[in-house]
Amino acid sequence: MNFDRPRGLRQSMSWLHTYSGLTLGWLVFAIFVTGTLSFFRNEITFWMQPERHKANSDIVTFERALGVLESEAPNARQWTMTLPGPRNPTLGISWQNPQQNAQQNIRQTAIPNNNERRVPSDTDTVGRGNESNAGNAERRSPRRQGEGVEMSASAEGRPTRQGVADAERRGSRGNAERRTMQTDEGDEEELLSPRQSQNTLEQAQSRPQEQPQQQHGGARGVRLTLDPATGEKLGGRETAGGNFLYRFHFELYGMDRIWGRWIIGIATMLMFIAIVSGVIVHRNIFKDFFTFRPAKGKRSWLDAHNGCSVLSLPFHIMITFSGLLLFGNMMIPTAMQSAFKGDMDAYRQNVRNRMANFEYKPPAGERATMIEIAPLVAAAERTWKNRKAGSVIITNPNDKHAVIEVRQSSIGGSLVAGRSAAQSLYFDGVSGQSLTGADAAKPTTVQAISNVLILLHRGFFASPIPRWLLFLGGVGGSLMVATGLIMWRVARQKDQEKQQRSSGAGFRVVEGLNVTGIAGLMVAIGAYFWANRLIPADVVGRNDWEIRAFFIVWAITLIHAFTRQHKMAWVEQLAVAGILIGLLPLLNALTGGLALSASIGKGQWVVAGFDITALLMGVGLLYTTYRVYKYAPKTIASILTAGKASEKKTHEQGMPLPDTFTSDPRSSSFAQRSEESA
Amino acid sequence: MIKAHHRWMCFADHRPAMNISLRLFMAVFGGYGLALLCGAALASGLSFALAFDAVTFAVMIAFIVQLVAVIWVIAAATLVRAALGLIIPAAIFGAWLVAPQLVS
Repeated sequence: MNFDRPRGLRQSMSWLHTYSGLTLGWLVFAIFVTGTLSFFRNEITFWMQPERHKANSDIVTFERALGVLESEAPNARQWTMTLPGPRNPTLGISWQNPQQNAQQNIRQTAIPNNNERRVPSDTDTVGRGNESNAGNAERRSPRRQGEGVEMSASAEGRPTRQGVADAERRGSRGNAERRTMQTDEGDEEELLSPRQSQNTLEQAQSRPQEQPQQQHGGARGVRLTLDPATGEKLGGRETAGGNFLYRFHFELYGMDRIWGRWIIGIATMLMFIAIVSGVIVHRNIFKDFFTFRPAKGKRSWLDAHNGCSVLSLPFHIMITFSGLLLFGNMMIPTAMQSAFKGDMDAYRQNVRNRMANFEYKPPAGERATMIEIAPLVAAAERTWKNRKAGSVIITNPNDKHAVIEVRQSSIGGSLVAGRSAAQSLYFDGVSGQSLTGADAAKPTTVQAISNVLILLHRGFFASPIPRWLLFLGGVGGSLMVATGLIMWRVARQKDQEKQQRSSGAGFRVVEGLNVTGIAGLMVAIGAYFWANRLIPADVVGRNDWEIRAFFIVWAITLIHAFTRQHKMAWVEQLAVAGILIGLLPLLNALTGGLALSASIGKGQWVVAGFDITALLMGVGLLYTTYRVYKYAPKTIASILTAGKASEKKTHEQGMPLPDTFTSDPRSSSFAQRSEESA
Repeated sequence: MIKAHHRWMCFADHRPAMNISLRLFMAVFGGYGLALLCGAALASGLSFALAFDAVTFAVMIAFIVQLVAVIWVIAAATLVRAALGLIIPAAIFGAWLVAPQLVS
């Protein structure tokens, strides 16, 4: 299209749609696919640790778990139990070893009015990233160094402006600051600063999730995974798990995270532009949705693209816009700078979450028998009606001043209220008397809107059905991007055939990137799961090898896509992806996991769900392979002889093709050609 | 309608390569610049009970402003109109941002 000629809005938008979609389209596809899988991040990690599949979560025997804690960590000041839930059938226990915790204890007692929800248990806090920097540093730097080291380490990795802001904040705020950072309910603070939003993203790594590296590098905090019923310790291989896919989704890999986030942010903005301009192009958006003309080349791709896009359009808009909001303060830093005149202290102060207002007492040093936990959990769940308990945190265990906190699981939480709605009930550990203070403040309208968007994006609240809906939305989005990318190529191929031109370099690059970006990514994901099972469980640093396997395989598909003939590249890569992914249930059964029959029989839906999804995806990919293999592009001559009347009819129903899809929309339409020949 | 604006056309309007380059430049940098300005203006110019809310709201609107700016730049009939579509809102946001400081 030439901008120097008069043109309509839809023509301009069609151009904008095409090129905003194409520029980073392959990256957007990868973001969509990894993001879709990230809705089941915890489940994927669980699948990737077959040692734990046998966990039996029907009953939780708190006594057994307490027994393990008593024998393993008699001196710890705080014990945390992460209860099994629908997303992870194991029971996690964690504690901090007091001798390594001296620094923190001093700080705690130094704060006169310590209204912390709880003493930060190392694994927990870091896992949720509330100890912000620590959470951010954890992937790259070896974990569990001293906490000061962790904090400065992550400040280094950041561009100066932020690093300075961090340092200032830390310096000026001291203890008060730490207190906030340790509070668990950071959601209100979500969009505060790039750092802050990172933290909350990290939080998603939270609870049921195992942080395998922690077990190995654990200098301070210790975390064990138990069978909920028997209290038996479950090992678990080191794995990059679902977290790798999750992190790739928003900060890529192998580069400074701030760069990764900017690249993703730009891709998201392009996606946002592509979606909205696409909606403007489709004047007949409702009618188009019911139009599908199969086996008609470009038109069918167009219909498929429209179908995928329109079907879950609200999802696409929500997911891209909330994705932008998650990076809001990174991408639009001027907003918070102008509102707070650069005073980041005031900024954080402004949004500080009000915590449960009662004080933890230091341990009395007097031994006391604790009350049974199960009735407290049952009482808490009765109080909450339809919310389940997610974790139990015992402060000063077996002491006269023991406090037992029962915290809600995030599943089933209110979207509007944000994750801070994961309330806790506090009980005196000896008498069982309730200590609960006032509730957190209600969110304002703006907070409620951003909470809804962001929680939908992260799927925190979601019980299984909404989670699967989000997953399907993600699949629809992935297909939307994939069909769009393929359509660019299909549309231009026709032009090139017509004009007897040989393929240009740009055309060839798009072809190759399409194969690598779409089929190749599927191969790489399949390979990632295979690597998880084929790399021996006791290899040190095996999680890195899993990630390497992913990238090496992806690189091979790139080379393959550019060396093979286009159609064969598709066929071969789709076939390999289909086989790799479709055979995952078998691989799982053969390498120590719970076989599909057994997992269904036992009702172990986390494992069964993964296997069934993999099976369906494999079948889908193989079917696609078959269709691509059988596909013979129609020549213009064959189209001319095909049913003319029906062509004309469908043309009238459908929307006119915008001119980017053909060189000249009117004259090249099938219907008119049919008329001419007739 | 397009004819009526022909006196607003500048020489680059007639040169396809220059036309598209200038539009891309305006869409990328103009759109983002306008978003930054909008974020700053709204965050300090709107009175919410919590300043944090103003920031969140400003960021949301800024992204939408960027989107609309990009669409405008690509869709406008001439380059002058495309540029005006960036300059006028930029002037308004700029004035909104600076005005309180001038008063006090």
